[in-house]
Amino acid sequence: MMEWIRFAVGALFILVGLLVSCVAVAGTYKFKFVLNRMHAAAMNDTLAILFVILGLIILNGFNFTSLKLFVIICFFWMASPVCSHLLARLEVSTDEEQVKKECGGDDDAGL
Amino acid sequence: MKLKENYENTKWRRFVRFVNGGEMSEDRFRLTGSQMDAGKPQAAKVHDAQPVDLYHLKRDRNRSDYSRMMEQYENWSKTRGLKIFGSLYRIISLCICLLIIFVLLLTVANMPAFGSADTPANSNEVAQRYIEKGQEETGAVNIVTGMILDYRAFDTLGESHVLFIAACTVLILLRIDHRKDGSLVHEELAADENDRRLEPKNDKILQKAAFFLVPVIILFGIYVILNGHISPGGGFSGGAVIGAGLILYLTAFGFQKAERFFTYKTFSVVSLASLLFYSGAKCYSFFCGANHMESGIPLGNAGDIMSSGLILPLNICVGCVVACTMYSFYAIFRKGGI
Repeated sequence: MMEWIRFAVGALFILVGLLVSCVAVAGTYKFKFVLNRMHAAAMNDTLAILFVILGLIILNGFNFTSLKLFVIICFFWMASPVCSHLLARLEVSTDEEQVKKECGGDDDAGL
Repeated sequence: MKLKENYENTKWRRFVRFVNGGEMSEDRFRLTGSQMDAGKPQAAKVHDAQPVDLYHLKRDRNRSDYSRMMEQYENWSKTRGLKIFGSLYRIISLCICLLIIFVLLLTVANMPAFGSADTPANSNEVAQRYIEKGQEETGAVNIVTGMILDYRAFDTLGESHVLFIAACTVLILLRIDHRKDGSLVHEELAADENDRRLEPKNDKILQKAAFFLVPVIILFGIYVILNGHISPGGGFSGGAVIGAGLILYLTAFGFQKAERFFTYKTFSVVSLASLLFYSGAKCYSFFCGANHMESGIPLGNAGDIMSSGLILPLNICVGCVVACTMYSFYAIFRKGGI
């Protein structure tokens, strides 16, 4: 019984992660502006990976391998937002016209 | 008139028109023919306004003809030529693609069945020996490391040299020289300015993240190198991880801080020392044949860190070369020097 509950919970986590990933991919292609698309793409690297690896940890049980998986989550949650931040900053500092268009008529919006 | 039109539409006439570059020949035919008004080219209107001067008329006609021909000739590549080239290109590429598919499928059809006993991989006694006696002879639990750093150490030495030579070549091609008095050359100043404009320097978020991540990444790289003979990994992958950590440090804190511990001198000393040690440590087997002379280093207990003879120091050497090469590539591409 316990095994089955664990399997169900783990599978549920993985499915939620896949769903988030699908939504993120759809958003990456649907949005027009760079910053919006980047937001959607960054979801993939953080939320989707979190859910999938949490599901794997639950399926695997708590041992040394799941500790490694947890370290992977930590790494991604530290590295990926910083990556997105740098990309966004590069976009803002190189393509000011586009960013103004994205952020509405205000001159200094978002800069 | 009718005859002429028929003549225009014959295959031979079409071919001539095609050879002469399309519509042009038709126009010329009409112009030189008796009726001027039939074709209505632009040049004809100009002639109408002018007084009847046969000599000038003829000259202008010739000139306009000539210029039109030149125009057609210049535009040929943009219209008809491009179309012909495009269709030819597609046909030829399709043929080549089909040919390659055919050859590859033929090769696949001639291969032995999957998992059958007489595949080269299964019947080769070298591979069998690696699997059966690898751990015993090299002392490495990881057979791959035992293979590339013991049985085939010469190969790996060549790979390390390839990396080193690649770094040297990039350095030769992309290095920006300093003047003799130490001031920067104009180009580098411009590049520096450009760099500062495009890439956010002194980014607090990146610096904080790098502050935590760089030590962890480099430690992990060292772990991968030192455990190369026990678990999956080894000099190449561990060196790549260390190089990535160094690059992250460089992007976060800039060249001034990175140059405190990694300069051109560091690069040359570390790379050369590693390659020299590798060559020196392995030359006995390169020259004497691997099986007939022992290195004298005990293989130790398989599975320990300090085991498997020369594999661990060789792994460290390869890791150093790879890390230096990665870092120097990035530095050279970024600013034209290490």
